[in-house]
Amino acid sequence: MDRSGDAEAVLDLQPNSSISVAYHPDFGPHDDLLLLELDEKLLPDVLCERVSLRGEPDEEAVFCTHSKTYGIKFVGTSNSVFLIPPTNTLSFPKNAMNVDCDEQKFDKPASISVLKVASGNLELVEVAPRLDKLKLLLLQKPFSIEEVSEMDTYSGSEEHIFVYRWDDLIGRIQASDSELRLGLEALNALEINGFWRILDDKCIDSVLNMLLHNAVLNDWSFDALPENEVVSVMESDGFPSKLSTHCLRVYGSKVDNNDHDGVSLWKLNEKEVCLHFARRILRNGKVKKDKFLVEWNSKIPRGMHTRFEMLEGEVLTERIGVEIWIHAFSVSSLPSTPAERFSILFKERPKWELKDLDPYIRDLKVPGLSSEALLLKYTRRSQPRPDVEPIFSAR
Amino acid sequence: MGPIQIKCSCGEKNCQEWAVIELQGVIEAQPEFQNCLQNLEIGQLCRPSSQETYTFTVAYHELTGTKVKLKKPLLVLKKVKHSDESVNSSESSATVELDVIGIIRQKILFKTRPKALITSSKKVLA
Repeated sequence: MDRSGDAEAVLDLQPNSSISVAYHPDFGPHDDLLLLELDEKLLPDVLCERVSLRGEPDEEAVFCTHSKTYGIKFVGTSNSVFLIPPTNTLSFPKNAMNVDCDEQKFDKPASISVLKVASGNLELVEVAPRLDKLKLLLLQKPFSIEEVSEMDTYSGSEEHIFVYRWDDLIGRIQASDSELRLGLEALNALEINGFWRILDDKCIDSVLNMLLHNAVLNDWSFDALPENEVVSVMESDGFPSKLSTHCLRVYGSKVDNNDHDGVSLWKLNEKEVCLHFARRILRNGKVKKDKFLVEWNSKIPRGMHTRFEMLEGEVLTERIGVEIWIHAFSVSSLPSTPAERFSILFKERPKWELKDLDPYIRDLKVPGLSSEALLLKYTRRSQPRPDVEPIFSAR
Repeated sequence: MGPIQIKCSCGEKNCQEWAVIELQGVIEAQPEFQNCLQNLEIGQLCRPSSQETYTFTVAYHELTGTKVKLKKPLLVLKKVKHSDESVNSSESSATVELDVIGIIRQKILFKTRPKALITSSKKVLA
């Protein structure tokens, strides 16, 4: 820690000595100078230039480290906070040293200079990343099946409207690098020719259908799909390797495999594949539950099995007369801020049982607040009798 | 617009330390000085003994305070605007950076009310 000049004269003032305090020759509001209070553990990140402020001009800025996002709030003070810089910061001549406390007369007293009176400082509060905008941006122009043929002939000279590179996203999205990557992963986004894209429904349908079709044709087990063969066969069907490996990532997981001569094997995730077909059926709106179950079972690949619990957080059911109807209501389509989330939930359904509500709030991440705390804050709990399930309604 | 980078030219170990003197309320200059405070003397800071106690004498008022270590450090940031002349267009856009120019780890805090150094003499009525 380097101390010099005026600041040093204050901080290292010797016993039985005094120093004159005056306004600096450049004293003024200095609105370009800010005070930022931060945790000691964040100091190395700042001093080694690993942090930035993010957000667009019309948004409140957030402070981002590599892995966390912090809201910034200004905390004012009614005290007078005199800021005294080290002399050489502002190329101001170094003053004489201290003078004895009792000495009343001196020709040129040692003096320190106050550059600014600070009206407060900025404070950091850890917040959840603001990723809702990411989905909106990427959905402006989803990647379509028509673009597949152009993937390998991309020249880079085309006009790019509503598509975003990594650098575009970090300028617009209020999240740290790690959180942004997780957000892209959650949206199943894919980097194509340098731009982050979400595949549209028609495109992902085509890729998955072709993959399942080829698995049957080539007698591949859904539990051990050989990556290089899948990619090769899919390429001959007109699907670039990037799309087929993306499809494997979205609908499957890599198998730990020590005895297949370095061949990468993938296992399809039954739940993800079944969910894909359920969503496809429900795209057209409300369906009778019985009819839906019949159609769902007829659509999924042979060897896979549907279970209604797979649809938790994806659909809602309602009884109309004697019939049960089902419609899509996916947690992934809901906002990530608690107030907006609960507002939409209670518009959809004024009263919720906990078992129905839980899948729709489980993913809410608010630093320092558990799911129980969120329920206390945003809902009203009523339980007419101890033996019945509590009901949650809007506060 | 891209993210605003927080730069630090001083490096991790030798960030310059700034000092803070904090007191309750406001120091007001006399009306004739209010628009030209530069170089004006505020008062005298004194450390009377080897303890970390200080006095700050402003005109006829004396404040007593102590040196306090901040629970969390304060960084002094300077907002710097760079104008980017774009090659293809006549427009120039400004990019903003924040430079870390100092750190504050302690302050001299005067949190008590000032003590008057002179008192008016009592008038004796005949």
